Order: sequence, then structure tokens, then C-alpha cells
Amino acid sequence: MAKTALKAEVDISELIDRPWITIVWDDPVNLMSYVTHVFIKLFGFSKERAHELMMQVHNEGRAVVSSGTREEMERDVQRLHENGLWATLQRDDKI
Amino acid sequence: MSSFEKVGDGYSLDLTLDEAHILINLVEQLLELLGEGDFFHHYDSSDPLAQLLAMPSEIVTPDDPVLLRLLPNAYADPEAASDFRRYTEPQLRGSKQRNLRLIREELTILVDENHGGVIEELDADIWLKALNDLRIALSVRLEINENSFDKFELLPDEDPQKPVYAVYFWLGWLQENLLGLLL
Repeated sequence: MAKTALKAEVDISELIDRPWITIVWDDPVNLMSYVTHVFIKLFGFSKERAHELMMQVHNEGRAVVSSGTREEMERDVQRLHENGLWATLQRDDKI
Repeated sequence: MSSFEKVGDGYSLDLTLDEAHILINLVEQLLELLGEGDFFHHYDSSDPLAQLLAMPSEIVTPDDPVLLRLLPNAYADPEAASDFRRYTEPQLRGSKQRNLRLIREELTILVDENHGGVIEELDADIWLKALNDLRIALSVRLEINENSFDKFELLPDEDPQKPVYAVYFWLGWLQENLLGLLL
């Protein structure tokens, strides 16, 4: 019985292997061509994919640009900040 | 009109003396805000392990909106953001300072020779990042939004913000010019 009670205290989210994601947020300053350029440079996207993601940021206010482990996403966010983009990381909401 | 040019495999920038002065002035202001010199002097640490590792025990989230935009929170959660900042902000700050110092060095040569001229074989990536950080800094001070261009057009010439807007738009033009050569 005790075992069961202990198990229930474990955070359920820790048991589900959800990835982490990096989100880039829209801002009124960064040039569209610059954001596209940074996406190509940092993530090796094709010009088309980079443009598509940039437009998503522009139109929807945000876009997920990468996913993976927490450490990988922290690295991506840091690189985006070095390039002046506004980025955050979080656990993926979708299960 | 000043502009970047592609020369062989490299890039150059042609500037007038006035333009070089304006850029140096902006770079100096932003470097001052980011804190020149030894970064760790800005942070007191009583944690012996942190001292040993030259790691600040805590780095506060910047109050200044320009700094907060240039060194943003990586997490929505304040505790996670603060923890991440502690380990990564010195590096981020340092990278921005290095970019700015490098372009200041190149600009200073033009100004010291007391004429405008061409900066040859410049590092396009560093220039893009530095110009972007300068634009971001000005944009926060000018409270730039989607309608700023109209607001700028309507400002009377004697408005003290008018020349700042002009510099902001000029930086955007320069950046677009360089990106056009890269993309």
C-alpha cells in the first residue's frame, strides 16, 4: 500500500517523455529578412522553410523553431539571444 | 549614400565621417549600458564556490528595458529564468560586447584618419548582429511599434526624437542592405 501512495506523489509530467521546444516570439523591430537569415544560419533550414517559420512568427506571434532535450533547447535559446531574437523554451504542451 | 558591397568573397562598408561618428556614438552608449570592462565586477558574490568558479551567485533580471530586451528571460517561470540567467548571461553579454567593440575598432580607424572611407573585409555576421543590437536598443527607447513609421513622418522637424527615428530607420536600411548581399 505504501508503495502505491508514494507513486501517486510522483509528478505525472515527469513520467511522460515530452520533448522541450524553443519558441521565437514576434517583435516589431527585427527585419523579416534578418529573422529568415538567422533561422538559416542557426538551424540549417532551407530558404523556403526559414521563410515559412518567419511568416508564422510574424502572423501568429510565435513559432516553434526546434525541439529536443532541455539542454539542446537551452543552447538554441542562447544562440537566438546572441542574434537578438526573442526566444524562450518550455516543455511541449502537446502530449 | 553609404552602403555595404560585396568584394570578391568579402564585404566592405563605405561611410562618411559623420556616419562613422554616429555609429561610434551609438556603440559607446550601448557598451556603457552593457557595462565595459570586467563583467564580474558588477556582481558581488559571497558564495565561496561561485567565487572560486568566478560565477556570480545571482544575476538579477535587468531593470533597464533595453537590457531586458537584449538579455531576455529564457523561461516564463521566474525561477527557471533566473537560474538560466545565472549560468548564461555573462556569456551572452560578453558576445554582444565583443561584437560592438570590434565594429568600434573598425569605425575608429576611419574617424582617426579624419575622413570617411571604406571598411574592407569586414565580418558580415558580426556587423549584422551589432547593427541589430543597436536597432533594438534604439527601438526600446523610441517605443517602436507597427505604426512608428507614420508617427515619425508626422513629427515636426524640431522634435528632438525626429533625428533618433532617422538614425533608427537608417540602421534598418544598412542592415537590409547587407542582408541583400548575403541571402
